[in-house]
Amino acid sequence: MKNKFFTRNICLRHNLQVHQEWGIKMGEIDYSRPEYYLNRELSWLAFNSRILGEARDKSIPLFERLKFLSITASNLDEFFMVRVASLKDLVNAGITKPDISGLTPLQQLDRVNAATHEFVGMQYSAYNKSLLPLLSQNGLMVVEYHEELTDKDCAFVDRYFQDYVYPVLTPMAVDSSRPFPLIRNKSLNLGALVSRKTKGSARKLLFHKKAAQGRELEFATVQVPSGIPRIVELPSAEDGTKRVMLLEQVIERNMDKLFLNYDIECVFPFRIMRNADFSLAEEDTEDLLKEMEKQLKKRQWGQAIRLEVEDGIDKRLLDIIKKELMIDERDIYNIPGPLDLTFLMKMYALPGFDALKTEQYVPQQVPELPSGVDIFEQIKKHDILLHHPYQTFTPVVDFIKQASRDPNVLAIKQTLYRVSGNSPIIAALAQAAENGKQVSVLVELKARFDEENNIVWAKMLEKAGCHVIYGLVGLKTHCKITLVVRREEEGIRRYVHLGTGNYNDATAKLYTDLGLLTCDEAIGEDATAVFNMLSGYSEPLGWNHLALAPLWLKEKFLYLINREKENAENKRPARIVAKMNSLCDPDIIKAFYEAAAAGVRIELIIRGICCLKTGVEGTNGNIEVRSIVGNFLEHARIFYFENGGSSELYMGSADMMPRNLERRVEILFPILNPELKEKVWHVLEVQLRDNLKAQFLRADGTYAKTDKELVTKENACCAQEEFCREYRAEATMLEKEQRQARVFKPEYKQE
Amino acid sequence: MAYRTFAAIDIGSYELAIKIFEISSKNGIKVIDHIMHRIELGTDSYYTGKISSERIDELCRRLSEFTNVMESYKVDDYKAYGTSAIRETKNSVILLDQLRTRTGIKIEVLSNSEQRFLDYKSVASKGQAFQDIIGKSTAFIDIGGGSIQLSLFDRESLVTTQNMRPGVLRMREELTSISHRSYQLEDLVEEMLCDRFESFMKMFVGDKKIQNVILIDDYVSRVLQKSAFKSDKKGYIEAKDFIALVDSLKARKSREIAEALKISEENIQLLHLSALMLKYMLNELDAQLLWVPGVSICDGMAYEYAEKNKLFSDTDKFVVHDFEQDILACARDINRRYSGIERRTNEREELSLAIFDHMKKQCGLSKRDRLLLQLAAILSECGRYISLSNVGMSAYNIIMATEIIGLSHLEREIVANIVKYITERFEYNEILGRVTTLDREAYLKIAKLTAILRLAEGIDISHKGKCDKIKLANKGENMVITVETNADMTLELGFFSRCGAFFEEVFNIKPVLKQKNSDL
Repeated sequence: MKNKFFTRNICLRHNLQVHQEWGIKMGEIDYSRPEYYLNRELSWLAFNSRILGEARDKSIPLFERLKFLSITASNLDEFFMVRVASLKDLVNAGITKPDISGLTPLQQLDRVNAATHEFVGMQYSAYNKSLLPLLSQNGLMVVEYHEELTDKDCAFVDRYFQDYVYPVLTPMAVDSSRPFPLIRNKSLNLGALVSRKTKGSARKLLFHKKAAQGRELEFATVQVPSGIPRIVELPSAEDGTKRVMLLEQVIERNMDKLFLNYDIECVFPFRIMRNADFSLAEEDTEDLLKEMEKQLKKRQWGQAIRLEVEDGIDKRLLDIIKKELMIDERDIYNIPGPLDLTFLMKMYALPGFDALKTEQYVPQQVPELPSGVDIFEQIKKHDILLHHPYQTFTPVVDFIKQASRDPNVLAIKQTLYRVSGNSPIIAALAQAAENGKQVSVLVELKARFDEENNIVWAKMLEKAGCHVIYGLVGLKTHCKITLVVRREEEGIRRYVHLGTGNYNDATAKLYTDLGLLTCDEAIGEDATAVFNMLSGYSEPLGWNHLALAPLWLKEKFLYLINREKENAENKRPARIVAKMNSLCDPDIIKAFYEAAAAGVRIELIIRGICCLKTGVEGTNGNIEVRSIVGNFLEHARIFYFENGGSSELYMGSADMMPRNLERRVEILFPILNPELKEKVWHVLEVQLRDNLKAQFLRADGTYAKTDKELVTKENACCAQEEFCREYRAEATMLEKEQRQARVFKPEYKQE
Repeated sequence: MAYRTFAAIDIGSYELAIKIFEISSKNGIKVIDHIMHRIELGTDSYYTGKISSERIDELCRRLSEFTNVMESYKVDDYKAYGTSAIRETKNSVILLDQLRTRTGIKIEVLSNSEQRFLDYKSVASKGQAFQDIIGKSTAFIDIGGGSIQLSLFDRESLVTTQNMRPGVLRMREELTSISHRSYQLEDLVEEMLCDRFESFMKMFVGDKKIQNVILIDDYVSRVLQKSAFKSDKKGYIEAKDFIALVDSLKARKSREIAEALKISEENIQLLHLSALMLKYMLNELDAQLLWVPGVSICDGMAYEYAEKNKLFSDTDKFVVHDFEQDILACARDINRRYSGIERRTNEREELSLAIFDHMKKQCGLSKRDRLLLQLAAILSECGRYISLSNVGMSAYNIIMATEIIGLSHLEREIVANIVKYITERFEYNEILGRVTTLDREAYLKIAKLTAILRLAEGIDISHKGKCDKIKLANKGENMVITVETNADMTLELGFFSRCGAFFEEVFNIKPVLKQKNSDL
């Protein structure tokens, strides 16, 4: 490692020289000026565009591209419900305070709108022009409109409707006695204009506008049920091509069966997005759990902030919806294809197309923790690093499971932010409480979009006898920490798991995260203090190794960055490598600029939002930002500081965002064991070598991949694939060793 | 490895705390967990004399949680002490009963001197670091909510210890009743302290140069423990650096101070007051080094528990401080202050201890009682400072008005009564009839120790130091005291039967004095 740092230091000196040649005096530039920052929302949209880039990448297997397109759609939904909603709130409240990039909420909203309209255009262009034809070529035909069905198909579809769909539908017509119904957030609906049948009106007049002229039109709607698969499989074609149709088309075709006394003038799908961002007056809330349940119900009634309609919708129908939902023209999205592309994730799961998918990676065994091993004994030997999803998440679950059964375990304490459905961790915690252990769990009820799940878990854990804390007033507890207190021969020993990702066995197969299992006494002491603070007790006199947000973490980051700056100024080795999901804290960004201006080489691996700009004056190209979007979701937060040659490595749960540093409980922990430090450094080093998936932030705020001409067979690197290869190789080696160890030893007669 | 887990609960004036310790001969005292909860009981009790029901509810809730914490660590034993806030509550007996019923935790109330003694023990639990610092002349400042305890050390031994009001919480409450501007605060603090502190300086410090200051408090210590000062060793700060730090906070708002010192804003007021009090005392003492050991009364409780249960083995690498010597040093200091003649008290101490040691098997007295006897012997002369004709009563009043570190109020009353009854008529049942903390057991203790001390007095009634050596032996129903001396013992032999009558009454053994010529 040292040699690399040394060469970097030479670059650093060179940068300092350039600095002086340019005549820029340090400290002259005010890095808090808005032109040095990118808008957070636009940066997020750029991130979603990078995912869309994967969906458009012809080198990626077709079904993986479907998955990426689906992700862009669900991401955009969430973005609207939270970010756009809060921008609208600001605009409605008349707030004009600009953000760090100098844009007022209204200006941001305008730009977000323009960018989103363009983005949606690109999504559907990819879907219609690239993916649909390719699907068809590869044996999967999507019948887009019911009008394209053959008679045989029609009979099948109608039967399907009658048997499965019709019983769960609730058609609703609007007239003077029936008000406009609640259109649920994110639900897909069919809106129709209908007119009461008069004698002699013939069914054949359906869909003919002229026939309805002169008659009073009413609005009718039916929600496409979310409980029935959106993708309806049709009988296969003769050549074996699989054929599918979307559920809304099945219903649209049978709309007349829902409104028997009406003539259907026109039917079009529509979908709305509501403001799902709510705030709790926590200080005044006696029972957070009950209040949260109440607020969640209200989410369905939030203000409509986006309306998606099928391109070509009848203007009269659109006017009614628009008026009833009180939605602006610019918030209407005319969609040239099926609404809500998240159904593509279900399409990905259709059987029979494995050849069009990337081979599924199976998380490998952790060498130190083979199944059945005593985890506590292993941790006692040395700290253990876990790298998910390349390595299995099972040891983390087993850690809790073993603790729940171990007679020497006195207490288990854990924070939970997002857990999987049917979580084995929850089951183990409940079991532990039933076994008489003291189990304290902080279940963060305010984890956005997981609130309902978490309420269920909290209640279940409480029922099992756990001491459940619902979170802290005014803060979200986002840190990932587990503490097991064990009474041993030598005294009480504390075992701690600290992670960068959630205690979620399902997402641990998709998100890249790192975890540390340790029984280091100082970290154990800190972990105890963390849980005391989370239980509402005072802060400890001091911390040994952990840095906690919102009280100390930001300051720690600023200190570490500033230390590198001072090292650079004193011509000592200085370098920062930081990997995170988002960077938008203005103080941290300013500190990065200042450090870069002083000559610190800063390499940032930021998956999502990055409000920092590259190529800013005075920073001399010392800052490089790359974003890796791959098959797995990059999620780990790792921070490397060269510290004048005595490097320090930290991992944590926090991104460098104001929300993480100021409004959440987060933990930053150091990697102290030199071997593990080397391993974590390797994670960064491989990502810094990535030239296939990494995209680099350019001075204009756009991202670009490495020039293909610069990628050779020798230097080509896809970090995620490399890790898969490495961990597979390690597991194979381990298996071999185990096999060798299992050779029978024959005994021979002694002479 | 054998170890014990012990929980120490401190119900303080503004904070409730529990510390879980693991104590073993191998590793000494190790803190496993430390939980603190801010609750200002003192604000209620100092001014209304009672603790509000809301605060009692909160206290009960937190104490119940402490029960769970203790359970989770499966602690072998616990101690829960209430200090000045509980002590100064009018209905403390009812309150303690309520707390016990609602939380299952038995709380004992410490007298100020017991409390300060434990604080002192907590610092002593730092072992060699403590011994090193008290090697030089050192002032030990213990800033509590209700009062400040000031102790002086010289060459490893305790010289004096004095209690002085107000403490930080009491001062805050008093200051809130005065309308003042923020820039006046420092002057006000000084003015409120200087009256008593000047007397302390004059009486106990004088020309002595105080080099070090040890600080125990709940606010400044925390900040100084966290902060990285120039000193290499954590917790050691040059006095001038500390004063500069306090001065730098002068013009800043509480929020800024909270940010600068990394503490919560709610603590700023008390921290600031505590810092100003300390600054004033450091300036007055002209000390150079401030040591903040970062311990609390809970550490003292663990130390005491380990001591009592002999959890420190002989091979311990830990320095065990002799606290009995500190208590005795304090008593000797009081005796000197009241111009007691040391030669006499030494002789009385020696003789009475010889009788005690001879009698201990028969009379059912403990090692602690021996200490009380020793203290009574040391303090037996102090009454003469007030009145030569009314020595006993005067001594009683002096002792009752003077704190002796390490003694509970009950023990102090026992000592005062023993000293009183050396010369005064023993009052038998009337003692229990008075408004007193004494119980039946204490009454018997007073009687027995008074009898021993009166007997010792009888052996050297002229205070001429006539005895070279004494021997005690039981012969039938008599206890024969043989005094080896060539001096004329006529006076002693003549009055001995009068001095021994009470001894005989209490122990049912007749003391007989015999002289043996030392030359023989």
